[in-house]
Amino acid sequence: MKRNRKRESLRFGTVTKSLVACICVAVAGLGYVWQKNAIYRLGDEIKRREASLSSAQKRNLILASKLAQLESPVELEVKCQQYSLGLVAPKEGQVLRLPEPGPEWDMQMANAPLPPRTPTRQLAQAKQVSQPGTLVRQ
Amino acid sequence: MILAPHKGRALIVVGALASVFMALGFRLFDLHVLQHKELSALAQRNRERVVHRQGRRGAILDANGNLLANSLPVRIVTADPTVTAPQAANIAEKLAPLLQTDVASLTEKLSSPAHYVRLNPRAKLDEDAVKKIREMKLKGIGFEDQFVRIYPDGPLASHVIGFVDHDHRGVQGIEASMEDYLEGQAGYEVIEQDRKGREIRALRDEEIGPRDGFNVVLTVDEAIQHIAEQELEKAMAEFKPQAGVIIISRPKTGEILAMSSRPTFDPTNMDAASADDRRNRCISDVAEPGSTFKIVVCSGALNEGIVSLNDQFDCENGAFMYAGRILHDAHPFGVLSVEEILFHSSNIGAAKVALRMGPSRLADYIHRYGFGHKTEIALPGEVSGIAHPLARWNSLSITRIPMGHEIAVTPLQMLMAMNTIANNGVRMKPQIVKSIVDQDGTAVFQFQPQPVGQVVAPRTCQLMTTALRKVVSPEGTAPKANLERFDVAGKTGTAQKVENGQYVRKYYSSFIGYFPASNAEISILVSLDDPTVGGAFYGGSVAGPVFRAVAERVAEYLGMEPQTPPTEVAKVS
Repeated sequence: MKRNRKRESLRFGTVTKSLVACICVAVAGLGYVWQKNAIYRLGDEIKRREASLSSAQKRNLILASKLAQLESPVELEVKCQQYSLGLVAPKEGQVLRLPEPGPEWDMQMANAPLPPRTPTRQLAQAKQVSQPGTLVRQ
Repeated sequence: MILAPHKGRALIVVGALASVFMALGFRLFDLHVLQHKELSALAQRNRERVVHRQGRRGAILDANGNLLANSLPVRIVTADPTVTAPQAANIAEKLAPLLQTDVASLTEKLSSPAHYVRLNPRAKLDEDAVKKIREMKLKGIGFEDQFVRIYPDGPLASHVIGFVDHDHRGVQGIEASMEDYLEGQAGYEVIEQDRKGREIRALRDEEIGPRDGFNVVLTVDEAIQHIAEQELEKAMAEFKPQAGVIIISRPKTGEILAMSSRPTFDPTNMDAASADDRRNRCISDVAEPGSTFKIVVCSGALNEGIVSLNDQFDCENGAFMYAGRILHDAHPFGVLSVEEILFHSSNIGAAKVALRMGPSRLADYIHRYGFGHKTEIALPGEVSGIAHPLARWNSLSITRIPMGHEIAVTPLQMLMAMNTIANNGVRMKPQIVKSIVDQDGTAVFQFQPQPVGQVVAPRTCQLMTTALRKVVSPEGTAPKANLERFDVAGKTGTAQKVENGQYVRKYYSSFIGYFPASNAEISILVSLDDPTVGGAFYGGSVAGPVFRAVAERVAEYLGMEPQTPPTEVAKVS
């Protein structure tokens, strides 16, 4: 009787182990297939994206060339004449030249007295008066 | 326990099974070991394919990044005649209008014995045309990726940019000289394909991507080039010369801002361009420079301290006998100072300055200014001109070379000589390529202005500028080249042409000038070969006004601050 029980428990253990082993193998197999499928699916996705990128790059090139053609001085002049835009370069008298501020200007600005500081509260009030709809953080 | 009568049968079954397994084993051994090489190669051929990918040729850009030349992807149609042969006539009829070819030649290609043919490689198809062909669902018809070179500005700066051949290789201009940078590198992919020939992306074995060529950024400014081309076109229409050139540069750096030559060609329509049209006359044509060459003699003599601007020379009233030959001036002059010799452009005066200078010194300055040598601009087809060595000079040479005879120069060489004076005596190497950049715009190589050497002292240049300013004054030879708002220094040239070894009544009219004279920003050369209409042929009256028109527009475009303030000032409200 005792011997029979021992044999039964041994069988159960073996069956369990076998079952676990089988499940592991099945899971590994299924995982492998799933992974493989994922690789193929991603491969297709990469291919689609590559094609889409290549197509966008081609389109970009074509548009850049079209833009260059439209911006060409020859083309612009033709269009100006075609639409009688009457565009001419400004006469020298119509150009106002501003002197480029140099280091002297920087020095002058650095030594210039600062404007008197308005208290924050007054500033806020002034803002509120001028812009009644605006919220002022105090 | 197996009984005796069954034992024999069992042995037979086991033996039979063993034989079958042995046979199968042998077959497996045969396939996997003995025939492995051939069979695996066969399987690989069925499964694998090598796809070559062509790198795109780099673009050519102007100084402001505007596209001057670019490569666009297109497709050409290919066919597998082993598949198309039975339906050749039908397919040809459908494709002929899209491929712009005749049905007969297409049918012939579609039924040829080859496995792969290109159907009219000249017909570059865009995506719309490809879509149309795809929709036809023709068996055995495929596509091959290629590139087509486009020039958005058409003939603008065509001599500088050049063009490519059918294999997309540069033939002329920057396309040829910068071939190594512009050319893209091909890549390849080893792919595995399914039953229908589609790639299984996940099984891609090797992948070496193509590398696009680098972009070449020029010093040429598209807008300034347009100004030069327009004004040259106007001059061609007005004076009807055989040819003409305009070059615009920055004397301080040697940068070429525009280089225009007529006759010209359209790189998008090379079939219509003759060899004569394609020649860049700015660097490939040599001619006697005429009086513009007097700057070499006078600057050399001033630099050596042999003469001063106020030294007087007797100009013999227009006829000077030397070595048994008479040298003439266009107008008779009496005694002239060196300054007057320059702005009246006296041949006799220049000859006398050269005589005082001596032949060896003159030859030395000719060499120092770079005549007889290539300027080494980054353009193919440049010639070195003709500057005979001193040993080959005859007794007349010392009086003829100062007036620009017995020497042949290219327009670019002459401009670079004038630039030397404008740049305080430092001769710069002409620069036409600014940088090489990759596709992201990162500079791979930046070209810097290259000084060649100090030819004359800055003081000499100041004296020369003083004299050359008077060339555009009312008493000079080119008052029509004067600018209202800028000080101009320049020199005219009217050189007689030589035909069959004889001087004929045909002229090269030229003007080279720079402005502002005191601090030169821009220099311009205008040269017209044999102006035939209007009776005028002197450089001052033919090339001078062209110089003025170009200079005014260039100054306006660059926003150069005028030296003379405008008389009328805009009101700012």
